[in-house]
Amino acid sequence: MIELQHLNFGYEPQRTILQDISLKLGQPGQNVIGLIGPNGSGKSTLFLNLVGILRPTSGNILVDDQPIDYRKKGLNALRKKIGIVFQNSDQQIFYSIVKDDIAFALHNLKLPQAEIDRRVDQVLTELDIQALANRPIQYLSGGQKKRVAIAGILVLRSEWLLLDEPTSGLDPDGRARMLALIKGLVARGQKIILSSHDMDFMYEIGDYFYLLNAGHIVKEGPKDQVFADAALLKRSQLEQPWLVQLSQRLGLPLYQNSEALFADQQLQQTLRAALAKGE
Amino acid sequence: MLTIDKYAYANRIVQWSPQLKALCWLIGMIIAFQPIMALKPVLLVAVAWNTVYLTHVSWHQYFKWFYALLPFLLLSIIGIVFTAGTDPQQIYAPLKLFGGYIGLSKVMLPRGIAVAVQAGTAIVCTYWFALTTPFQQIIGFLKWTHLPNILIEETMLMYRFIFIFIEAFEQIYQAQKLRFGYDNLHLMVHSSGILAKMLFEQVMVNYEQMVYALDAKLYQGEFYVKGPEP
Ligand SMILES: Nc1ncnc2c1ncn2[C@@H]1O[C@H](COP(=O)(O)OP(=O)(O)O)[C@@H](O)[C@H]1O
Ligand SMILES: [Mg+2]
Repeated sequence: MIELQHLNFGYEPQRTILQDISLKLGQPGQNVIGLIGPNGSGKSTLFLNLVGILRPTSGNILVDDQPIDYRKKGLNALRKKIGIVFQNSDQQIFYSIVKDDIAFALHNLKLPQAEIDRRVDQVLTELDIQALANRPIQYLSGGQKKRVAIAGILVLRSEWLLLDEPTSGLDPDGRARMLALIKGLVARGQKIILSSHDMDFMYEIGDYFYLLNAGHIVKEGPKDQVFADAALLKRSQLEQPWLVQLSQRLGLPLYQNSEALFADQQLQQTLRAALAKGE
Repeated sequence: MLTIDKYAYANRIVQWSPQLKALCWLIGMIIAFQPIMALKPVLLVAVAWNTVYLTHVSWHQYFKWFYALLPFLLLSIIGIVFTAGTDPQQIYAPLKLFGGYIGLSKVMLPRGIAVAVQAGTAIVCTYWFALTTPFQQIIGFLKWTHLPNILIEETMLMYRFIFIFIEAFEQIYQAQKLRFGYDNLHLMVHSSGILAKMLFEQVMVNYEQMVYALDAKLYQGEFYVKGPEP
């Protein structure tokens, strides 16, 4: 459990970026937590606070009921518990071959080579990127690089995985793969916190959401609550997921994801009948 | 992954041992700084041609890597060759000003050209090494020389930093050029100022992000090298 108590943060003393943030991450039934907010609302800054890279100006962060220990040893322990993947893949890939880069963190931990090989193989399989193992990074697409960046952190087997804007810059195929990847991780019990302003993506994947605007949490709750308030989303420079719009503006049932909508036989029959009548 | 890595990884002599490449570089540097002038331009052209051949980089891209360094080089050369004096005989293309003359100094001009050729040769040789030797091999080589770890780490971070710098320069410059930022002298001065400011900011941000990413991967001040030490 990660708990934030009245956290404030500013890069410069005169200007606070995060204001009075209190939240409890990791409550039962909340395995994928979404942090939604427009550009500049402070999502990345909040992430950096969670992993101890930035230190709150005031307030507390408790990880499993213990305040973060900002000494080197404490931070190393924290990084093993909470892994973070940043938005820009190029900035976090240091080796030219996929396999070497994924192994980087494990070498830093000075694990035995056999263990490193085993973990790297396992992650390659899990993310379905074995074919990329010996490829130079330069030939990868944006989506593939993103997966390599995630693999480089997954090898740490951290309890928590923080993904900052995992769909930014991805094409539709890359985005669909990212969705499948995250679903796969969740299915095997990985706890994930995502930040994004890609509302459709977040709607499909998340269990519980925090809406961040200008450094404040303006709303929190499960998806049927957070995405219901169109006016609030608009004020936060965001838009409602299309499935929610279908429900609110066309009176369709509220579907949990697009597959559920297209699989709804009854809806199809009703529509067909209505269209036939109109002709 | 920087553009430089792309060429360093996929060139024709990537499998050469880094020691051999470093030796070639060293010979190049010795020739650049030894006194026999005639050798230098020959080497400069030969190495530049060889770099393009080995890495398949386009001449256009190759020249672009010099843009970022050119201002520094030009400023120092101008500082050497420009002079003011009272005797127009000592000056090429003298320009009368306040009772004296300014222009290119006849004495210093050869000296200026010598410095330019020397620096040019050294830069071309260094680019040759950087463009044919991947990050991994450079670390491997530095470890082989038994330099202290802290020095190796500094070198590697600086190496990446330099290319972050060059890439940021290129991106900003392109964006400005697209919007006609360099169409006349006035605009050029203005755009250069903005470029310098943005470059500084971007490089700081990039550098910060790199440090965060290293942190997240529990970097302890040592880049590992794969396999047996070369
Ligand atoms: N290193 C920094 N120094 C100063 N201000 C920053 C820095 N990083 C981000 N900011 C500012 O903090 C605010 C929140 O930024 P960020 O957390 O990156 O937002 P988001 O990730 O939601 O787009 C922005 O106003 C941004 O300009
Ligand atoms: Mg961000």
